[in-house]
Amino acid sequence: MARSTVGLPLAGLNVVELSRGVGAAYAGRLLATLGAETLLVEPPGGTPLRREPPFLPGTAEVGALFSYLAAGKGSVVCDLADAEGRADFEALLSTADVFLCDLPLDERGRLGLDDHDLRVRHPRLVSVSVLPFGAVGSKAHWDGEEINLIHAAGEGYLLPNGLSAELFPDRPPLKIHGHFAEMQGGIVAALGALAALLADGGGAAGRRVEGQGVDVSIQDATLAVGAFAVQRYGDGSLEHRVTRSFKYGGVLECADGYVELLTLEERQWRGLVDLMERPTWALDPRLADPLERSRRGAEINAEIRAWARTHTTADLVTRAQRLGVPMAKYASPADVVAGEHERARGLFQTVEIPGFGPCQTLVAPFHVGDAPLRLRAGPPRLGESQDRITAPIGTTQKQAVEAR
Amino acid sequence: MKPLAGLRIADFTVHAAGPFCTHMLSQLGAECIKIESALRPDIFRKPHAVYGRMGPASFDQVASNKLSIRLNLKDRRGVELAKRLVAVSDVACESFRPGVMDRLGLGWKDLSAIRPNLVMTSVSSSGQTGPDAHFAGYAPLFGAWGALGWLTGYVDGPPVEMRHVMDHSVGMNAAMATLAAVQHLRRTGEGGHVDVSAREVAASLNGEAMLLAAAGGEPHRLGNEHPRMAPHGVYHSRDRDRWLTIAVHSDAAWQAFARVIGRPDLAADPRFRSEADRHARRDVLDVEIERWAATRDADAAAAELQAAGVAAHVSATIHDVVHDGHLRERGMVIDVDDLEGNRRAALSVPVRFSRSQTGLDRGTPRLGEDEDHVFGELLGLGKAERDALVDAQVIY
Repeated sequence: MARSTVGLPLAGLNVVELSRGVGAAYAGRLLATLGAETLLVEPPGGTPLRREPPFLPGTAEVGALFSYLAAGKGSVVCDLADAEGRADFEALLSTADVFLCDLPLDERGRLGLDDHDLRVRHPRLVSVSVLPFGAVGSKAHWDGEEINLIHAAGEGYLLPNGLSAELFPDRPPLKIHGHFAEMQGGIVAALGALAALLADGGGAAGRRVEGQGVDVSIQDATLAVGAFAVQRYGDGSLEHRVTRSFKYGGVLECADGYVELLTLEERQWRGLVDLMERPTWALDPRLADPLERSRRGAEINAEIRAWARTHTTADLVTRAQRLGVPMAKYASPADVVAGEHERARGLFQTVEIPGFGPCQTLVAPFHVGDAPLRLRAGPPRLGESQDRITAPIGTTQKQAVEAR
Repeated sequence: MKPLAGLRIADFTVHAAGPFCTHMLSQLGAECIKIESALRPDIFRKPHAVYGRMGPASFDQVASNKLSIRLNLKDRRGVELAKRLVAVSDVACESFRPGVMDRLGLGWKDLSAIRPNLVMTSVSSSGQTGPDAHFAGYAPLFGAWGALGWLTGYVDGPPVEMRHVMDHSVGMNAAMATLAAVQHLRRTGEGGHVDVSAREVAASLNGEAMLLAAAGGEPHRLGNEHPRMAPHGVYHSRDRDRWLTIAVHSDAAWQAFARVIGRPDLAADPRFRSEADRHARRDVLDVEIERWAATRDADAAAAELQAAGVAAHVSATIHDVVHDGHLRERGMVIDVDDLEGNRRAALSVPVRFSRSQTGLDRGTPRLGEDEDHVFGELLGLGKAERDALVDAQVIY
């Protein structure tokens, strides 16, 4: 059942999303979860994201990615190849506060959806462009998928480090799972949309906001979160995946899985020595010096790894927590879904997924107010909000669209 | 004018994730007042031997553009001054371990009593509530708790640790959620507490895998593979440690790709006709692509593939990024002067507006650089009063 959004931070905000990729879709998802009425505009066959694998077990066409990204949104079908569909779409835009769009620039031009056209027809609209390399610059027309973008932003070249880099030194660099870069684009697009709405004191009751265009590049967004590598470059160090590995600690294999260990401070190192039950090698007084430990990192790592393999993850992380040693189990997605902490915080919510049934879905990585945010629904059926196109479409408007 | 001009933030954040949040908001125009103390200098004000920096940073990517004041929060009078600052701020941000702000008398209950319509953002490892709320952590631990580390890795290898991008993605989420709360404030006059959990950010970045697992599926490490596309991967070019990324996303792109690599026979080969066929035989295709890529200059090959409609890009080093013409045209990479007067590359905020301005106006502040403005003009402290507080190590 659809939930009320009254009281949510973005209640009353109308968002229209014309998306094919993860970046714009994630921006819409974040705004929807924060309370905005978010309407996904799809072509007659549905957005290509609906057809992205992996598919949920027992189904041939219910995608996990779409189900996650579209939860809480409405769906209308507008065939932008035909005049009636474009008129319907214009009617939707005229009621929107924010328009999210990731169509390539040349296609936007053909549809009259470039920033200048939108300014003329919808002066109050905040129109957010999400493109692989942004809407301005010499690569604005370049295409980019996740694997291209995480490398275009510099982070791809820097992965993996630590144990994986040691085990497979000759393999190609490795992307982060899933859609990390594209999602950074989505988070930044939501940030940009909200900043534009707040510009000039906007957002206050009764205050009219002048709209503007917001240009988000997934490459920029991913580079922004990789800022330290640029800072290090300015300090005179060019980072590389092999040399940026921690000298010791990192990924440790245990009897039943993996843990992460990272001791940056002296008390944490001393805690680790206690955690290992004070083995003779670790009591070498020279190892009290952090620089000496750094020099003998490989030797220390051999000892720590041999020790970790004889313990279970649960045993280690419980004791490490007591001793103030930063350590975490490498949790699988199933572990996280079943996690007590996550349950206590309401991280997941069971929603109905059309074609599959009820399923726990991650809501949001933050709370706003006293309680967890709640999704208003699962992902929409194609065209399930078609009644949102209720405003009578006048002939003048239709003609205006056809005349383009 | 910048979009957030007029918004004032009392910034109690430390380390990476929290300061990155306020760094973004500062570049969008918020007046961000960083509260520091010589008693406990922030990470960029002291040596950071783990990363090979043996002195303080001359430029800090997450502190630049902020105003700096000193306040000793271990002294009751320092806490009182912090409260006076919050009383004239719209937003307060902090990133201590949950409970620390409460113990200082600066928790949400205290601060919202002083300023009922305050927006307060707390960034922490596991959130303000729940059985693990007291856990401290760093980026690799957030990634481990949130399954992003478990899912990242070669198909036959171990999990991979997440680095700074993890911290900063937490900060970016926090900046976005803070603005949602500010939007609510402008509309209703009500403030609110924003509680950002770093491990939940890691989990949110693989929400589709969580959903698959919840549905009974078995997500696993995919390396550089894609569940649908092939060819898809990172290929070695003719030059040492120089890599080319390629993602063939459609039948049309496949035809174009085969043409560019001079292998029309592959495009005509019935074994590779459909996307599903190509995916099933991706190992065979990869051998062909590796052979081609090994003879090519990666940058030229990427440009040629893009011109033909194939998504491709070189695996950029930070040197490439800093000198990239496109990123400089966009104003994403800029040059700044650091505290020692040296010119260096820095990053701007990753949003461009058609009307509003953004970006850095100044570099890293010196400790306490903006006390005349903040203590004098905003809080109305006289010179004698300030001098006494300096002597008493309250302003310290």
